[in-house]
Amino acid sequence: MRAGRQRLRPVLRRAVAALALGVALAAAWAAVAAAASPSPAAGESSSILAPPDNSRCLRCHGGGEGAGAGPRVDAARYARSPHGRLACTSCHLGFGPGPHDAAQLRDWRATARLDACRACHADVFSRYSASFHGRVALSQPRRGAPACADCHGAHAVLRPGTAAFRETIDDLCARCHAEARQTYLDSYHGKAFLLGRATAAVCTDCHGGHRILPPDDPRSSVSKANLVATCRTCHPGASENFASFMVHVNPRDPRSSLLLWVFYAAYVVLIAVVFSFGFVHSGLYIYRGIKDGLYSRRGARLG
Amino acid sequence: MASTHDAARASGEAGAAAAPRTRLEYQRFNVFHRWMHFLVFVSFTVLVFTGMPLKYKQAGWAQWVMDLFGGVTAAGIYHRIAAIVTVFYWTAEVIYMLVHVVRSRGRAVLGPESLMFNRKDLHDMVGMFAWFLGRGPKPQFDRYTYWEKFDYLSLVIGTVIIGTTGFMMWYPLTTTRYFPGWVLNVALVIHSQEALLAMGVIFIFVHFFSAHLKPGSFPMDKVIFTGSVPVEHYRAERPLEWARRVKEGTLEEVLVERPLTWRTKVADVVWWAITLFAGACAVLMTAFIVWTVID
Repeated sequence: MRAGRQRLRPVLRRAVAALALGVALAAAWAAVAAAASPSPAAGESSSILAPPDNSRCLRCHGGGEGAGAGPRVDAARYARSPHGRLACTSCHLGFGPGPHDAAQLRDWRATARLDACRACHADVFSRYSASFHGRVALSQPRRGAPACADCHGAHAVLRPGTAAFRETIDDLCARCHAEARQTYLDSYHGKAFLLGRATAAVCTDCHGGHRILPPDDPRSSVSKANLVATCRTCHPGASENFASFMVHVNPRDPRSSLLLWVFYAAYVVLIAVVFSFGFVHSGLYIYRGIKDGLYSRRGARLG
Repeated sequence: MASTHDAARASGEAGAAAAPRTRLEYQRFNVFHRWMHFLVFVSFTVLVFTGMPLKYKQAGWAQWVMDLFGGVTAAGIYHRIAAIVTVFYWTAEVIYMLVHVVRSRGRAVLGPESLMFNRKDLHDMVGMFAWFLGRGPKPQFDRYTYWEKFDYLSLVIGTVIIGTTGFMMWYPLTTTRYFPGWVLNVALVIHSQEALLAMGVIFIFVHFFSAHLKPGSFPMDKVIFTGSVPVEHYRAERPLEWARRVKEGTLEEVLVERPLTWRTKVADVVWWAITLFAGACAVLMTAFIVWTVID
């Protein structure tokens, strides 16, 4: 008996300890889960770490009742974006409640919004700041060169590298380079891409993304020195001749390429002449046919 | 169709009133001609439908047509298959014509059955316009009218232009081994514009008109499928060829007794189905493009 009780005691003790630990873990898990579960009252945020408390910002910027004059943010969309777990002030550094200071806002629009991204994306930012867009954006903020958020979005950031982002690239570039986009769409790459071949080259495949530079810069991916290598990323064996193909050209505009325009215009004239002649010839033939009753069964035999 | 009974009577009078009903017909196209037309007709339609969406890529219908073929990549493959068919029929036709010309000792080109333009065609054209306006009799034609010659020659020549530029773009690396890059730009402009021209000529103005809309052909001239037409139709349409053959004594060469059985009727249904389908395609694509150009 005694020996049995003594043998039982450590087992019991261990069982009680395990049970207590289990209950404690379950309670903790339940508490975290309850905090993290997206109950309608708790808003859209779904972080199990530290749900950002952006309610004070959203009071004015959320677009609800009593919204302020500042820009509106779609809180639900923001929460779903890759940055959704960050508090507003992780990017909008130094912004506090209430009407914001005018100098602070001016500073934000100029370069502070770039610093916000740099804090986490220093590597990409260094490439961007060396690019044409980056140089202009940092040195002459008023010229409206694209900052990070102009291409990637601010509150509804799309993951780069996804098909969804890739599909928006030509639209993004076209905001400033509309003509280049149209000539791109007129080219092989653009036609195929527009009609659904996702692997066809888009703007950034040739021009680069963060490192983008004008063609007259020797470091540019589309400079004379680098163009063949750029073509070869998709077309192994591309030659100088191959690379001299004109991508951004409009045959309908003689100032774009006189040579192509001559061919284009010659065909327009030829088509107009042939179609007009055909139209008149067919029309008159049908007119004569109806007038002479040649479409009747009898007339059919008389031609 | 309309003249079946009359023709049957005519053939009966000709003396061959045997058990199967027959009709005296004029053999206009042989099996080779008819197969050539079939290959042109299928490959041309595929080329137009897989190519035009690229030309008018920003129109809503372009995506729809591409999706019909299983996407732009699949459409590109069909376009290239049809291009190979085109190379095949063009080569076969040229060889056939060369043999034909040599065997006829040049008469196939220089004679009245030629597909080449000659002085008479100019007179015929002026004469047709006079007839249209009621200022003269209708000109009489030999084997081919000037619009048929135009139809044929524009296809033979157009195929060279569109085929060359097409293969240049198919093999851009090879092309730029011998030519500068702007040649590919020129190739695209020519290919794209020549395609519109060819489509207009075939779908609307010349071919569609001469085979379907013209009096005597309306609503459908089946001769390219059947190979032969009722003899009195031939006599009315090609009076010069008829008169020439009577004079030369070669009429027998082109006259055939065509048996009219249940198979003739089935074949007629097939020709009609093919033509209605292709016609619907042609009208649809024409409407799409006209809509896009006007819009």
